[in-house]
Formats: sequence, C-alpha cells, structure tokens
Amino acid sequence: MSKEVYILGGYQTDFARNWSKERKHFVAMIRESVQGALREAKVAPEEIESGHVGNFAASLYSKQGHIGAFFVEADPAFSGLPTGRHEAACASGSIALLAASAEIEAGRYDVQCVVGVEQMKTVNAAVGGDFLGTAAWYELEAKGIEFPFPKLFGKLGDEYDKRYGLKDEHLAEISAINYANGKLNPNAQTRTWYMNKEHALASDEFNGAVGGRVKISDCSQVTDGSATVILASAAFASKWAARNGVKLENIPRIKGWGHNTARIRFDDKVRESKDAEYVLPHVRSTILNARKRAGIADVSGIDCIETHDCFTTSEYMAIDHFGLTAPGESWKAVEDGTIALGGRCPINPSGGLIGAGHPVGASGVRQVLDAYKQVTDTAGDYQVAGAKNVQTLNIGGSGTTSVSFVVGA
Amino acid sequence: MSTPTQSAQSLLASREINHVVVLGANGTMGFGSGVLFTQAVPRVTFLARSKEKAEQGLAAAKAMVRSNTVGQRVDTGSYDDLEKVCGEADLIFEAVTEQLPLKQEFFARVDAARRPDSIVATVTSGLSINTLAEGRSDSFRKNFLGLHFFNPPNVIVGTELIAGKDTDPALLDFIELYSEKKLGRTMIRTHDTAGFAGNRVGFKVLNECAILAEQHGPALMDKIVGPYTGRALTPLATVDLVGWDIHRAIVDNIVALTKDEAHDTLVLPKYMADLMDQGTLGNKSGRGFFMRDGKRKLALIPGTDRYQPVDEIKMPDLSYIAEIAELHRIGRYDAAMAAFVAAKGPEADIARKVISGYISYSFHRVGECTDTITGIDLIMGQGFNWAPPSVLVDTIGLPETIAMIEKSGVPVPSILAKAAPGTRFFNHPTINVGKFFVAG
Repeated sequence: MSKEVYILGGYQTDFARNWSKERKHFVAMIRESVQGALREAKVAPEEIESGHVGNFAASLYSKQGHIGAFFVEADPAFSGLPTGRHEAACASGSIALLAASAEIEAGRYDVQCVVGVEQMKTVNAAVGGDFLGTAAWYELEAKGIEFPFPKLFGKLGDEYDKRYGLKDEHLAEISAINYANGKLNPNAQTRTWYMNKEHALASDEFNGAVGGRVKISDCSQVTDGSATVILASAAFASKWAARNGVKLENIPRIKGWGHNTARIRFDDKVRESKDAEYVLPHVRSTILNARKRAGIADVSGIDCIETHDCFTTSEYMAIDHFGLTAPGESWKAVEDGTIALGGRCPINPSGGLIGAGHPVGASGVRQVLDAYKQVTDTAGDYQVAGAKNVQTLNIGGSGTTSVSFVVGA
Repeated sequence: MSTPTQSAQSLLASREINHVVVLGANGTMGFGSGVLFTQAVPRVTFLARSKEKAEQGLAAAKAMVRSNTVGQRVDTGSYDDLEKVCGEADLIFEAVTEQLPLKQEFFARVDAARRPDSIVATVTSGLSINTLAEGRSDSFRKNFLGLHFFNPPNVIVGTELIAGKDTDPALLDFIELYSEKKLGRTMIRTHDTAGFAGNRVGFKVLNECAILAEQHGPALMDKIVGPYTGRALTPLATVDLVGWDIHRAIVDNIVALTKDEAHDTLVLPKYMADLMDQGTLGNKSGRGFFMRDGKRKLALIPGTDRYQPVDEIKMPDLSYIAEIAELHRIGRYDAAMAAFVAAKGPEADIARKVISGYISYSFHRVGECTDTITGIDLIMGQGFNWAPPSVLVDTIGLPETIAMIEKSGVPVPSILAKAAPGTRFFNHPTINVGKFFVAG
C-alpha cells in the first residue's frame, strides 16, 4: 500500500475579515472555508470520508466545545462522517494535518478534509491576551500577566542576545519584509496597513513595547480566519488526476513531516538548551526530521519557507534552526537578502503570521495551503519563481509543540 | 516568469513617480490620499491655503495611518509655493473643495507651472473630467485623469479611474497598474458620467431610502434595508455620515446631467431640503435622520423636524428579518436570500423593491458608466462595502432574481433577461462574497 499523501487543493478565507462585525458564528467560517476548498480542489462533498478540525480555543472565544461536530454543518453530505477536533495551541492546524495524513498512511481513508479555524475578535485585546496565555503553562507563566506571549517571545530575543548578540534593526527588517509580502497577498490581514522599516524601528506612541524588546510591529495580530486543504491517498489521487487530466506526479504531496513537543515552560526549554548548539533544539529536530523523511539533505533543497513568525524573534530563531545560517547568525540571512522575496530562500512570501495574520487554529493549515500554492505556481503576486519544495514550521506555545512539513510534487 | 508579468513590469517601468504634490492637503481626501503615495514615492508635498493648514493635514495623515514615519517623506507649503513645486512634480494630485470654478482656477495655475510630461489627477467624486480639463493645454489634457479614492482611502481600496476624451490611453494603463501594485488599490475604469459608477448607483439607493423614509420613518427604513440585505452600514445612517449637503450635491449633479429610467428616485426629497434650511446636515450638525441624546438614539419623526427615541417606535412584525439574519449568521447565504425572496408582508415588499431597484439600476448602467457589470460590482463591493449586484443575482438565482424584479415593478435589465440559465455574474478570484451578508 502506498503511503503517499497528496494535496488536491484548498482555500483560505480573507484574514482581514472581522466575523464578529459581520455578526457571524464560526460555523459560517468553517462553511465558507470548506465549500471553497471543495470548489478549488474539484472534489464533491460526497467524496470526503473524514473531517479534521484544528482549533485552539473556541471554548474560550465562543464558549463552544465539540468543534469537530461543526465540520458536519459545512455540507449536508457530511452528516454521519467521522470527525474530530485537534488542539495544540498555535500548532493546532498542523496537528490536524498530521492526524489526517496518518489516517491516509494507515489506509483508513482515501479523502480527508482538514480545516483550521479560529474566531478571535469576539473579545477585546486584554481578554484575548489572557486566553492566549493558556497556550503557555497558564498558572505559572500567564495568570495575571498582561499580554504574556509577547513577553515570552521577548525573552527568546533576550536569550539570543545573551548567547550571540541581537540587533533590533534585524527584527525590524523581518517585520518590514513580512508586511511587504503581505501587501502582495489578497487574503492577508495587513495588506492595507501602513508599514515600513523605519516605523518598525521606531519606539513611539504608535509602536510601543508590549513585551520587553517586542514592540507592536514585532507581533502578529489576532484575527478571524479559516484555511482548508483536501488530502488524498495515492488511490484517490490517481482517479482524481485522470478525471482532471493531470499527471499524478504533478500533484503536490506532503513529502515529509516532523513533530516534537518540548517542555511547556519557556524557562525550562532554555535551561535544557543552555549547552546545546541551538536555542530550541526540539524545533531544530522537527525541521530536520521533516527534511529527512522528504529525502532532502539540507536547506539547499528547500526553495522557500512558510514559518511561524508569531513574533519577529520567532522568525529570527527559525532562520538558523532551518539551517540558513550557522547558529546565532540569523542576522546574516536578513542582511544579505536570503529571506526576502527574490532571495535564495524567501521566508513567508505570503506575509507569514505577521503579514497575513494569525487566526491561531488556522495558521498551520494556511501554511501548508500556501506551500501548495507555491509548488503549483498559483501564488499570484507572491509566487516564488520555480518553487519545487517548500517547508513549513508551525509552533504551539513558546516553542513547545513544533510541526514541520515539506510540500512538493 | 510569465509574459503578462513581464509586460506589467515594463509598463510599471515606463514612467517614474518620485515626487507627488497634493493640492488641498488639509482635507480628508487630500491627506488621506496623499499618505497613500508616501508608501510608494520618496517625496510628497502637501499644499494648502497656508503652511499651517498643510501641517495640520500632515498631523492628520500620521494619525490616520498611525505612523510618524509619514513625516519623513512629506514636506509642506502653501499655495504660494504651487508654481515652484508643481514644476518639480511627477504627479500633481488635486483634492481641493468640490467646486468647479475653484478647481478650474487651480488647474490653470498648474497648467502654467507643470512639466509637460507630469501627470495631473483629480479626486473629484463626480464633476466631469472633460469639463475640468476645458481650456487647458494639449499636454495637460493628455496627462489629466480622474482618480477617485473613497473615504477613508487607507481603508477603502475601491478606486475609480476616469479618462477624459484626450487622456493618453498608455497613461491610463500605467496609472491603473501603478495604483494596484504600488498603492494597493482595486481599480475600476468608469466613463466620464455624473457621479461616475459608484456614486451614481449608490446614491440612487440611498436617496430612494430617504424618499421612502418620509412615509415610513428612517428607523424602519434602516431596518428594512438593513445589513441583512448586503451592507455593513444601513442606508440612512450612511447619508448622515456622508453629510446631507454632500448627498444633495451628488444627487443634484446626477439629476441635472442624466436622464434614466429611475430618474425620480434620484431627486432629493423636499423635506430634506427644508430641514437643511434649518441646519440639518447629518452627523456633522449633530442631527440628521438620527441623532443622539446621551446614550439614546433618536430618529426623525416623518413630516416634522422633531425626533423620537428609536426604542419607543412601534415597529411592525419584522421577524422575517431575524430569520434571514440567523441564516447569514451560520453562513447559509443562499437559504437566507431565498427566504428574503419568499418573505411576506409590506415591509418585505419595500425591501425587495429597493434591492430590485439596485440590481436593475446597476445592470442598466452597463455601457453608460462602465463597460461591463464587473466595474459596477467592484466599486459597490470595494468602495461602498455593499453586496455587488452580481453577487445578489448569483446568490438569489437568475430566474428568481428576474421574477423578483418583475414583481417589484422595476424594469428587468436585458443583460439578465438574455443570460443563459446557470450564468454566474461575479467571478472574482479572491473576494469573499460571504463578507457582504451581515447578520443584522
């Protein structure tokens, strides 16, 4: 039995939308996202055999549990399908993808629909910040702290500074690149926002500090959104290829995956890595495992990256962990243009979490969808010319759960 | 890299814009449009009646986009500096008060001072581009066009592009692409007709609601033609926000210069003119169709100049709206609009007449205001944040829409009557049509 997992297509909602202002329930988002994916992937709803939902905290944001059941509401044909919800904070979408692909590999199902979804604008920023704190060890790291996550990722920057030195101008450049890329993405949350490197460098009334060295321009912003992809076995993909007049070998696949979970407290992670080569060794291991399973020796085989830039410090960390530079030298890839669109290995051509937006449970699926768009030459204005292999990195918590996929045909 | 991209790149490279001058930079459209250019060019000069006023525009621009870095690219001056800076500029953007003689006076000065190859754009929301260019030099008319941003320009991306009869077609192609790629705009080409496309269609609907409000009251009208019919902001609250004086200027201009099948719905109702004589101008005057008394919202009592608390107005049974809104809330837009078509009662009839009128009027303007319905769809969606007429047709269904329009007593557009069954009219690849249906 073939173990290959194909991606037939997908869809993302416009991350600039505020579904609370539209006075909508998140089921509307799931419905638009899933129906869009079926349309884009040319798959009939009756062909879907199982549904997986990645979601972080609907129980907090919308006081609703049992999110897997809402998949069934997306189409009348889904009644009776097996579904489930997957949660690993900001990596929820990737965990849903892992579960779905594992079921295909195991031969249980041939066609899977994976939807990531989060509605976050139901509450104000302070309440939302507190909810996000549950992605850390809440009692120890977040309770009673205003905006705990910017502070935790500020500490990641501090750790780099301590070990290797870190300049704010490199973080500002990362922010500016993500915003600039987001302007090319018609689904990006920030595509109309005003941003430039000078603004990202400024510390003033419009760009205040929210967590140590982390300023507003260093943060991805909460938003509402959903992304969906349709995964298939080789058996179904062959049939699908025949009916759509394409070659099976031209359909993108999940070529490799990596998945690790480190200790949940940030300080424990850093303590464990104090003598290690990398600040977050489990993240490094996740990236390497994905490439190894894909049969790609090193980062030179990767054409672009969609990484988890929840903050500029997390992208700064990702640069050396992906192997684009030696440990502690991420600044070199920022300075020499490696990560910019048009560079050797662009990071986040979509705009990433900072530019495209970060509806938590959707981000992992959105990354894989953007990887699919890149390798099928359908990314439009943010297309990386000739992209063959794209790697993602999705992180839950303060570098706690990490998942990486390699997508390519 | 594909050929269209290559040709797009060579088109973008065909002109350089390094210096933009904004006339009227203290007004919202002046500084709001001017700040967009600071994202694309290194130098933008804000001019106003005095340097102080231009500085006020700069401060407002910084606040609008929440960035002090705007100041790094903007210099300011008064109209005394016009000749000097217009001589240096690659693009002169006019945003002075919407009065024909005043704009013509500025264009005469610009014409005398500008380089022969510089672009001149006006942000007028409805004055004729050809009239504005009358008496100007050949090179001015060749390089002159309308670039109609909507307010606030940093949020609303729909932008109308209007050529005069002498405008260089290559310049239009360039500005269209430049505005899309460098300024993040959604560009819609319209003909040089009164109100262009967006205001022509949009203010027809708004004015019709104002006419109907004389009998039914503004509170009921804003319920009947509320968010559930495909808009974020209700019609008469929109007129209050825009300002009654602006509304009047737009509809008067359209009424004076056009004659169409729905002409009567564009004539300003007399009660509005009478109230304007007493100083009622919408939000800017503290009262319009609605006003606030502390936390309480009041509505104009039809036929009077008095107001009553909205929560004390006895409304008819509007449960059908709640049912439709609930379907929108869970994303079942097709079912919601089917319920709209089937709803019983006089209020549903009024709503269907207004929406049928909107669809009918939009499709009837194809050829007159835009080349295809897509232009009108895009400006209504990306400029007004209303469900575009084609989205309504697609969601309701073609035969059901035609039947609704016929039943409402408005003319069925030939484009719809002749369309093949199953035709879908709105095929934009990235706009989420669901966003237009608000559950309220």
